[in-house]
Amino acid sequence: MNDLINNAIQTEKINKTFGTIRALQNVSLSVRKGSIFGFLGPNGAGKSTLIRILTGLIHATSGNFAILGKRSKHHYQLRREIGALVDRADFYKQLSGYNNLKLLARMSGHDNESHLNEILSQVGLYDRRHDKVKTYSQGMKQRLGLGQALIGDPKLLILDEPTTGLDPIGMLEMREFIRKIAAERDTTIFLSSHLLHEVEEMCTDIALIFNGELAAQGAIRDLFQHLGEITMDLDVEPSGVAETFLANNDLVLACEKMTTTLKIKIAYENVPELLRQLAAQPVNIFSASQKNQLEAFFMAQAERK
Amino acid sequence: MMMLSLIRNEVFKIFSYYRTYLSYLFIVLLVPLIFWGFSIGGSTVERQLTHAMGDQFLMVGKLVNAYTVSYFVMNFLWVHIPFLIALVGGDVLAGEEAAGTYRVYLTRPVSRLKIFNAKAIATLIYTLTVILCLAFMSLGVGAVWMGLGDLIVFQDGILVLPASTAFVRFSLAYGLSFLNMAVVASLAIFFSSMVKNAIGPVIGTMAIIIVFLAVSTLPLDFFVSIRPYFFTTYFDSWAKAFFDPIPWDILWQATWVALLHIGLLLGGSYFIFRRKDILS
Repeated sequence: MNDLINNAIQTEKINKTFGTIRALQNVSLSVRKGSIFGFLGPNGAGKSTLIRILTGLIHATSGNFAILGKRSKHHYQLRREIGALVDRADFYKQLSGYNNLKLLARMSGHDNESHLNEILSQVGLYDRRHDKVKTYSQGMKQRLGLGQALIGDPKLLILDEPTTGLDPIGMLEMREFIRKIAAERDTTIFLSSHLLHEVEEMCTDIALIFNGELAAQGAIRDLFQHLGEITMDLDVEPSGVAETFLANNDLVLACEKMTTTLKIKIAYENVPELLRQLAAQPVNIFSASQKNQLEAFFMAQAERK
Repeated sequence: MMMLSLIRNEVFKIFSYYRTYLSYLFIVLLVPLIFWGFSIGGSTVERQLTHAMGDQFLMVGKLVNAYTVSYFVMNFLWVHIPFLIALVGGDVLAGEEAAGTYRVYLTRPVSRLKIFNAKAIATLIYTLTVILCLAFMSLGVGAVWMGLGDLIVFQDGILVLPASTAFVRFSLAYGLSFLNMAVVASLAIFFSSMVKNAIGPVIGTMAIIIVFLAVSTLPLDFFVSIRPYFFTTYFDSWAKAFFDPIPWDILWQATWVALLHIGLLLGGSYFIFRRKDILS
């Protein structure tokens, strides 16, 4: 019961089959309220299938789910507090960005002009709001897609690969925008991606799915504790002193000098102690970054599957 | 209130496509052309019409008037209009799937039943406006162009209907035409619910109409026995509004068959639409 109340999304043994293909198998997922939740998996793992079930685009073969602590036989009622961007953003091309938003906003009674203009300003399309969508770039369409998801100030944002089709600058803008929404609003963000660095950069919690089955879920920090050894890059001066210290330290499993940094291998739980010891040395620590932890975690889970 | 907003959305979408206006353009261009043809060749037509009666009756006034020409116009156009109706009806569901817009539209907090109803009602509104456009261009523009007068129709010979009853009969005829076109729209929506592009429903609808019309004409016992249940059998029921006396039993039958088809087709479409997984 507590899970139901505390979670933005709670699914219970959701199954989906397409003919003989089992796209989802007993997926029970918990998404904490207030988290930025990354839903990870390779292409075809079932990420979009689950998202489409949650947003009412496809029907689950069996299983239940609750959104923001509510269940309903009529799933469309659960969508009152959801904003969703599923896959690539497509709109009525012959209509302007503003009219597209107005059509969609009318469906939930949030079609007042000031609200729509505020959203268009937030996604940086205010100046182009009266242009037809067919004149928009994919990046602009994707931003409009995010805009339509923000109609009515939803408590839960479901974003299915929101950076799909964007150029590197567009990707950075989109990530920045998602972070901003999470920081400024009381909004839980559930996003799927197959870009590990994207999820590692943005998310507080993750779930991994392989072949329609959940492999792991939880807070990133908790999950990485089970990872064992990790790789860290240290930018330290003078590097010679640091290298000698690290090479002789029992906590460090391996140390290698790179062009500008020192690369070490260390057990995850020993990182705080090593940094304390290093800080006590006559060295200046400019940065200490853990590299590709999620990638290592993802690969470990993938191998188990 | 929500339903009205949804219908408004759907009507707005239908009328945001250029192709929607093809029907009106077709009527606006073709009907005056027919009137123009009658106006320059009217005296010949009038002579032919009165030839048989001339020896026995004294004809007073203009026989080729707005009512008479509108009657001819309805004969000319009832083949073309189904195609134009199917063009819009066939796109109403499949077009959304093809364009990928279901992904934003169906994720809103509205039931599929309401969305479907709004789409069906909007398509029927479009159908009604096409018939009203035909009525306006025929009777309205025709009245200004040629004036009104008694209506001459052919029913086992020549029947002259007084001008005072013509408008009521035309209203009945346009009403029946609307019902028939509503069946066509429903058929197009039915096909539209099954496929992912709008071309299939248009071709499917026209194919069904042509096949049913062809089968209806076959003088075989089996086809004769099932003919009363084909909606195409009543495609020309509007013409019976100009019979004297009006065969109400046939018109009621035409109405019930049309309503039954509309109900079954829209019911079937909703059944498919409600269960549809949006994978595009």
